[in-house]
Amino acid sequence: MILFLQSLLSGVLIGGVYALIGIGLTLIFGVMRVINFAHGELVMLGMYATWVLFVQLGWDPYLSILAVAPLLFVWGALLQVAVVNRALNALPQNQILLTIGLGLVMSNAVMLGFTSDYRILSTSYSSSSFELGGLSVSYPLLMSFLVTAAVTVALSLFLLRTDTGQAIRATAQDRLAAQLMGIDVRRMSVLAFGLGAALAGVAGALVAPTYYIYPQVGGAFTLRAFVIVVLGGMGSVMGAILAGVLIGVTESLAAVYVASGLKELVVYVLFLVVLLVKPSGLLGKSRA
Amino acid sequence: MAATSVRPAARAALRCAPAALAIVLLALFPIFVTKPYPIGIGVSLFLAVLVGSAWNILGGYAGQYSVGHAAYFGVGAYTAVMLFERLHVPPWFGLPAAMLAAVLVGVVIGTITFRLRGPYFVLASIAVAEIIRLAALHFRGFTNGAEGFVVAGAPTLHLLGLELSLGTKRSFYWLTLALAVGAVLVSRAVRRARLGYLLLAIREDQDAAHSLGIGLAWNKNLALALSAALTGLAGAVFAGYTRFIDPNTVFSLTEVSVRMVLICLLGGIGTVHGPIIGAVLLVLLEAVLVTPRGLVTIGLLPSDSALVAFVGKWLSPAYLLVEGVIMVLLILFAPEGVAGLLRRVRARRRETAAAAPSPAP
Repeated sequence: MILFLQSLLSGVLIGGVYALIGIGLTLIFGVMRVINFAHGELVMLGMYATWVLFVQLGWDPYLSILAVAPLLFVWGALLQVAVVNRALNALPQNQILLTIGLGLVMSNAVMLGFTSDYRILSTSYSSSSFELGGLSVSYPLLMSFLVTAAVTVALSLFLLRTDTGQAIRATAQDRLAAQLMGIDVRRMSVLAFGLGAALAGVAGALVAPTYYIYPQVGGAFTLRAFVIVVLGGMGSVMGAILAGVLIGVTESLAAVYVASGLKELVVYVLFLVVLLVKPSGLLGKSRA
Repeated sequence: MAATSVRPAARAALRCAPAALAIVLLALFPIFVTKPYPIGIGVSLFLAVLVGSAWNILGGYAGQYSVGHAAYFGVGAYTAVMLFERLHVPPWFGLPAAMLAAVLVGVVIGTITFRLRGPYFVLASIAVAEIIRLAALHFRGFTNGAEGFVVAGAPTLHLLGLELSLGTKRSFYWLTLALAVGAVLVSRAVRRARLGYLLLAIREDQDAAHSLGIGLAWNKNLALALSAALTGLAGAVFAGYTRFIDPNTVFSLTEVSVRMVLICLLGGIGTVHGPIIGAVLLVLLEAVLVTPRGLVTIGLLPSDSALVAFVGKWLSPAYLLVEGVIMVLLILFAPEGVAGLLRRVRARRRETAAAAPSPAP
């Protein structure tokens, strides 16, 4: 029982970070209907940025979020304007190939700059934990969960309460209608891609103290992000949060009760099942 | 009708002549050139033509962009190698077994994923290939896990009384050349057969095709079976050639699945000759980027060439960077590949030729 609760807890905590990655992806998809296959690479860039700030300037990973988020926002906005926006009317399959290409460019550029060595960002608290009701709570995982929660709340407030946020949601709901209402949909697309990238960057900073950092680490995050977005319903932020936690828990339980080498496999099988049974996801409108 | 059909037949024969000549020249090539580097590039090229044509049948004609073809490649490789290493089944039987295994896996995958469309199909195809890769890594007792297999002996192929040693690069050169030619012929036959037209109809509009009575699942699975068989064959031959396989190589998302798409994208998706053009361009590019030293061994560049040093230092470790850039540029500016570009150039020339006489007084 204690083992079950323990893995449930770590699943929920890591699921928070997955949710953050999923929200970014779902935001991009919602506004532009483009499936960003380079999303994991954005997380990877966030990890490297955090690592560089830590090694060069001694910044704490959680502090460096303040720098990593704007950095990735600018990078994402740049990618949108320079590349992705040109392919808005391409076939969806071609858009996937386009973003796969972007991902290859990012991961291999990083490999050129930093070699393919595994980097470790070890802080004083990287492996520290504390007891809570018989369960051991990992300090970095808890911190990342709290930061995720704060970012999610802030993002929700932004999307729900501000004019710009509402314009982004309107664009996601109906691009043409939004345009007719005088919303600059091109600007909203840039904003959404930037935000999505920034969220991926924050997630990268949050996992940096507990993950190996290497150029190809993004692939696993990309696939997870897709599972989350499809499971939650394409374009649904609430769905992404729910699905992120669900995937975190699934992985964690699968690692304990199936085999640690099979946790990703279990997630992909779950993904296939969702695609076949309910492709619109848990909270999505039926579109597929 | 009978009178007019003579000329097209003659013209068709004439059009085949350059291709036949090219095949003969390629077949004679290793007799005159014995350096291992160009022979190795030949093998890579023919394997690329083989997998490109295989992918094109499903992705190009039927429009089902699978980014999980590594599943068939890897299953083919593992089937042939495991039969040889574990049960000592000679490769002569290993190759058809690899094709059969790939088809079986394909039919299972197809039944699951063909209900999905567009981006959902792409995602599902990736997920399935990853599931097989992770399973191959995990179930060590069956697949040796991440250790993979080293193919120890050089098996001899007993074929109709002939003894073909599979130990040399040259024998693989001829074997892969024959397979590549065969794959292109299969691809061409499919394109011209009834199946080809059904697949094109499905690609252009699934619902319309369905309403005309075209069976979607059956025809897509037929295309997948052909595609998977050829891909599995390529995987098995690749395994015999490199003498080593592990899950992260033969089931690789980027180095197998995405590369197959890139070959077709580069040449022109959905055309018979597209994968050939794409394979030539990509393999030459990879040869220069990954092994620039090879250009020195065949005497194209001096051994102290600054270019070789630059490429070896900066681009070889990250040749996928260049391929990624090419992929992005292709999608943005030439989604129909080199074949599409050529078609556009030809159309423009015809236009100017037609327009030219009119300004004459």
